Parts: sequence; structure tokens; C-alpha cells
Amino acid sequence: MHKTKKVALALLVSAGLIGSAAVLAAGRLKPAGVAVAVARSGLTVTPDRAWSKGARPGRLSESWTLDGLSINELTFYGGIADNTTLFREVSKSERPLPRFSKTMLMPDIVQLFESSYRVALTTPLFTVDSVEPAPFAGTDGFRFTYSFAVADEVKRKGEARGAIIGGKLYMVTYEAPRIHYYDRDYASFVKIAESARIVAVKK
Amino acid sequence: MAAPLRAEAPRAGAGYVPADLDERGLWMQAEEYERELKHSAFVMRDPALNAYVREVFCKTVGQAECKDVRIYLMRTPYFNASMAPNGLMQVYSGLFLRVRDEAQMAAILGHEYTHYRNRHSVLLYRNAKKNFGAAAFLGGFGLFGSLIQLGMIGSVFSFSRENEAEADSGSIPMLAQAGYDPHAAGEVWQQLRAEMDATALARKKKSRKDKTGGMFATHPPSAERMTALKALADKQTLPGATDNRRAQFIAALKPFWADFVDDQVKLNDFGGTEFLLESLSKEGWTPDLLYARGELYRARGAPDDLAKAAGFYREALTRPEAPVEAQRGLGLALLRAGSVSEGRAALKTYLEKRPDAPDRAMIAMLAGG
Repeated sequence: MHKTKKVALALLVSAGLIGSAAVLAAGRLKPAGVAVAVARSGLTVTPDRAWSKGARPGRLSESWTLDGLSINELTFYGGIADNTTLFREVSKSERPLPRFSKTMLMPDIVQLFESSYRVALTTPLFTVDSVEPAPFAGTDGFRFTYSFAVADEVKRKGEARGAIIGGKLYMVTYEAPRIHYYDRDYASFVKIAESARIVAVKK
Repeated sequence: MAAPLRAEAPRAGAGYVPADLDERGLWMQAEEYERELKHSAFVMRDPALNAYVREVFCKTVGQAECKDVRIYLMRTPYFNASMAPNGLMQVYSGLFLRVRDEAQMAAILGHEYTHYRNRHSVLLYRNAKKNFGAAAFLGGFGLFGSLIQLGMIGSVFSFSRENEAEADSGSIPMLAQAGYDPHAAGEVWQQLRAEMDATALARKKKSRKDKTGGMFATHPPSAERMTALKALADKQTLPGATDNRRAQFIAALKPFWADFVDDQVKLNDFGGTEFLLESLSKEGWTPDLLYARGELYRARGAPDDLAKAAGFYREALTRPEAPVEAQRGLGLALLRAGSVSEGRAALKTYLEKRPDAPDRAMIAMLAGG
């Protein structure tokens, strides 16, 4: 709309007006076919093609992209702990984000996600389109789809797959513009999400 | 320091053309922004609601003065209204939740119109250009500038105390002439101050009611302003009996309440939302408001909150017009609190009544098949 064209979540919450080109330049390539631990956690996935590492929306999250975060974005949440937010807060005092609780049911996760997006991206144009049970990382989890728009007015779709494991939230989301891009890269997301497993991390 | 506009300076309005380079530049920016707005997904285009807001605005500022103003209703759950120098007005959906009758809405519209008519944005622009550079000001035009860049805009976009006082005093005779009680202007700011206190209390923070930034990027509702507004309203002579038209306001907004309340509940502002729900329930808790309150408490999700949420849903469900989603909320609150069989029963009822629910598969699993 005006100067904040780059509105992908990762960009916004990584504080600022860093252009996606700069983020990409700094990103490392995640090669196809190699299992890799993401989001500084035991969440491990095997991409079917090379994705670039984008930004870190939070301490335990990490975004990847193929063409730039506003075109296609995967975000991994690597074990969000009780009483913490999904991603970094833009303004703790003015616009605090809701916090994950280990007592949450799966529909509560959807609600937490929706509210976090509405607050962080300052948009009321967010709808949840479907919610269903689905396995994730070898356990009972969830899958939900959503649609949203932010200041750049591009209509985007998204899908999240995840599970609460040991009281912590593990999740992968995929987002892209509804027209063309969403369908184009969806299969790669599904392969990555289906490859997810949790491995023990040495502390 | 740019010379302030004097009382005899030309007023914006029908037939006015921008006077100098600064003002022409502002108009161009506003016009470009308006072209984008025409296609924006954030603009609410419901004809009845647009006609109603326009009717109240024209009644307040006068038929001749209102005719060139274009009003855009924005789906944005914060309190704001603004006017660009070219006669583009924006009213945020969050405003409708925060004014209690037509008179209070008219007070805000009249206030904004006075800023516009007295060309305050030109003064603001000249000061901003000197202190921050033009880009900071122009970038803040429109929808998100004021929200995304809260900190910066708080300082760039604060109208001067004199300009605010002028806009306040401009709105008082407008209200009287339109047949509203001019005390409505002071009331709406008073309510907003109380809401900020409620937000801060629930977040265990100091209230920002006397600060710029946040909800009041452009209009800090200071205690001093309240007193001045009340004094002006006390002095104002009235042409006849007043009517603040609460019933008409409620009727016009009724089809939109559920969506606006839903937007508010999802803002993670427990104290402010509870305050607004209580003020909306002045004539009693409707099933929709009880459902919203249940959703608010369930989202916060402490054990005590879940018990209260279940109570609100149950109370809503005693009425025939209760939203079906109250069954869903009740079931989820009970399940999370550990009342498994009762929770499952409520979820089953929800699915019977809403077989096409978007989360059917998930709820069916939780309901135990």
C-alpha cells in the first residue's frame, strides 16, 4: 500500500523495515534431501528442494522461503513453551501477544494463532477456513487452513500443521498469495511437514 | 517556525483549492492514497451503514459543508477517525464500539471536520517537515501508518494543544445545532480514558490515558480537555430540546455488532474488551454479548476464567436467540477445565446444530466421535 510493502510476518516481527532481499542475502540454503534441525530445537525436517533461510520471527521460530517471504514462507515453531508467545512482540506494552498454555486444546491453538496474527499484523481480515485432526511428527496433531490480508492488500492463504508434544507446541506453517503461488509450492510444504520429527537435543 | 494560520485564513471545504506547494503536495499524497482505498479490502461498503454515517455527518456539519467530503468506513478494530486535507474522511470500525449514541459519534465527526476545515494538517506538515522530514509525515498517511509506526507517529502526528482545543470547541456548536446534547463530546473522551485505565489495570501497567501514542496517536484525551469541553457544553445555548438518538444508533449498527465485537475480543486486550462489553450491555446482557464475554474469558484461559466462561455461555444458551457457537465455547471451556462428559455433550449439540461447521472434524474428534 505505501512504503511497508514487505508485510510477511517474519519481516514485521523481526523489527523492522529490513527488505526481504537483505534477509535473503543473509540466508543460508537448506539443501534438498538432507535432514536439518530447525528453530534451534529438536524439530527436524527434510526438504524436498532447496529453501533459503529467511528470518527468525522469535527465539524458537525460523522462516524459510523460495522466492522471498512475501511470495512463499514456511515458518517453523520449535517447541513453544508454556506462557510464551509464538513470536517476538512488536510492542510489549501497547500490543502484547497472547501466550501459549500447555493446557490448551487443539482448537485453542488455532485461536492463539489467529489472535497473534491479528495483533502482530494489525489486521482484522483473518479467517480460519478449516480445522481437523492430523498426525504430526509421529503423534496426534492438528491441521488448519486460513486466509488473511495485510496492508499490501494481497490475499494470502495459509496452512498450519503441528502438535503439542511434552507440553510444548511444535508447528510448521506455509503461506503464499492465493493467486498462483499458494498452489505452486504447496506440495513442497506438505513433504516438509510430513518429514517432521522431534529428535532429542543436547542442552 | 511556520506562521500559524490565523482566524481569517481560508477554510477548507467546498470549492477550496490548495494554497501553496506544501499543501498541494499533501493533496497529491492524499489523492493517491484515496485511489488505493477505492479497491481496499479493508473498506466496509455496506450501503446502509455508509448512508447512516453520512447522514449523521451531514446533519452535524451542515448539508453545504458535507457534500464534497468522501467517507470511508475502515474495518480496523481501534478507535480512530481522520480527515485528509483533500476531504477524504476515514472512520474506523473500532469507533462504533466506543461511542454509545449518535451524538457521541457526531462529536468525533465534528471534531475531525474542524481539523480539516481549519487546515490543521498543513500546520502539522510544516512542523513535521522541519523536525522529521516530509517522508515521516507522508508515510503515515492512511490505514496502517499510524498503527505500524506507533512510536514515530505519536510524535509526528500529535496536533498541537491549540489545534485540539480548536477542534473540540468547533464540535460543540455543531452538536447543539444538530439537536444533540453537546456534553456528548466530553463523554466520549471520558469513556476512552476509562477504557485505557481498564486495559492498563488488566495488564498491570500504568494507564497511558494522558500520553500520546497508542490508541490516541492524535488526540490525547487529557483531563484538562475534559474540563474545557464540559465548560463549553455548559455555556452552549441550545436551539431546542436535544435527542442523542441512542435507539437509532443501536438499530443502525445492530447487523455489525457481532463482527466488531469478535474483532475486539481477538485483540488480546482483556481489560479494555471487558470494559467495552460492560458498556455495550447497558440495557442488559444479550446472548451475543454473553457469548463474546465467554470467548474473552476462555481465551485468557486461567482455571477461574474457564469456569466463568462456561457460566456466560450457559446464560446465553437459556435464550432462544443464542448463537450456536455458544455450545462450542461451552464444550471447549468444560473440556479444558476437565469436565469431560459435559464438555463432550455440549460439543455434540454444537455439531447437531451446525453440521457444516468449518472445524467439524476437529470438534467431532474432541466430542468423542
